[in-house]
Amino acid sequence: MTVKKFKLFLAPDVEKEEQWLNEMSRQGLHLIKYQYFMYVFEEDPGKSYVYQIDFRQDAKKDYFQLYEDAGWEYMTNALSSFYYFRTNATKSTIPKLYSDKESIHDSYRRMFGFYWLIFILFLVSQVGVFITWKGYLLQYMMVVVDIVIVALYLYMFYAFNKRINFYRRR
Amino acid sequence: MTKQPEAFLPLSQATYYILLSLREVRHGYGIMQDVEVVSLGEVILGPGTLYGALSKLEKQKVIEKALVQDDDRRKYYQLTELGKEVLQLEFIRLKSLVENSNVFIKEMEGK
Repeated sequence: MTVKKFKLFLAPDVEKEEQWLNEMSRQGLHLIKYQYFMYVFEEDPGKSYVYQIDFRQDAKKDYFQLYEDAGWEYMTNALSSFYYFRTNATKSTIPKLYSDKESIHDSYRRMFGFYWLIFILFLVSQVGVFITWKGYLLQYMMVVVDIVIVALYLYMFYAFNKRINFYRRR
Repeated sequence: MTKQPEAFLPLSQATYYILLSLREVRHGYGIMQDVEVVSLGEVILGPGTLYGALSKLEKQKVIEKALVQDDDRRKYYQLTELGKEVLQLEFIRLKSLVENSNVFIKEMEGK
């Protein structure tokens, strides 16, 4: 049997998302698919997994093979950039995809760069609204939407920065 | 222009063991296993950490793709000439660090 849940996590909160998935798995609901904020879980009270999310933009065949060799099962992805893996939670140590601070730091920096690029493209795409400004109601509405989106991105960059500084060496 | 081998020093503990494991051609998981054995269990690499390190080292031309015919799912790696130099230089650096301080550390232990 499958269970579906909607939930919104922002990219800087991947660790919170992982914790949530692990908690769900402890309760017998194991993520098998993610699509547009919808998480699909498979019910099996007899099992428990540890989930980890990996940000990659160069995921090729050898990438999935390496994770599989290391005992991680690939489940699903978001935006072809966030890859969800799981492994059995029966081991005594808590398994992690990243074994040092430096590589976690790198991972958040790559995420920052990715969203920065999207943000710049978004700004460029909105230039037209201001060039053709005629004071229409629709244009005012678009400006309000833009302000919300810009605020969301600024919050994300602030959160990314906090993580990046936290995982900086020394 | 490729960087001089000196520019890569000092290496992180993980990078040092990764380069050391490539004394033979290996794929990613082979590297993880070798590092764990050679470091006597001190360094256990996660696949995410390893994959990132390998991509970076390959870009820096410290390691390169090795051609292995009977396995098209895994990527195999080997040291480049630059990589061999980097590893040897780091070994010399660490060795002199230990040798130069040896007497003093022993003195401190004696007190």
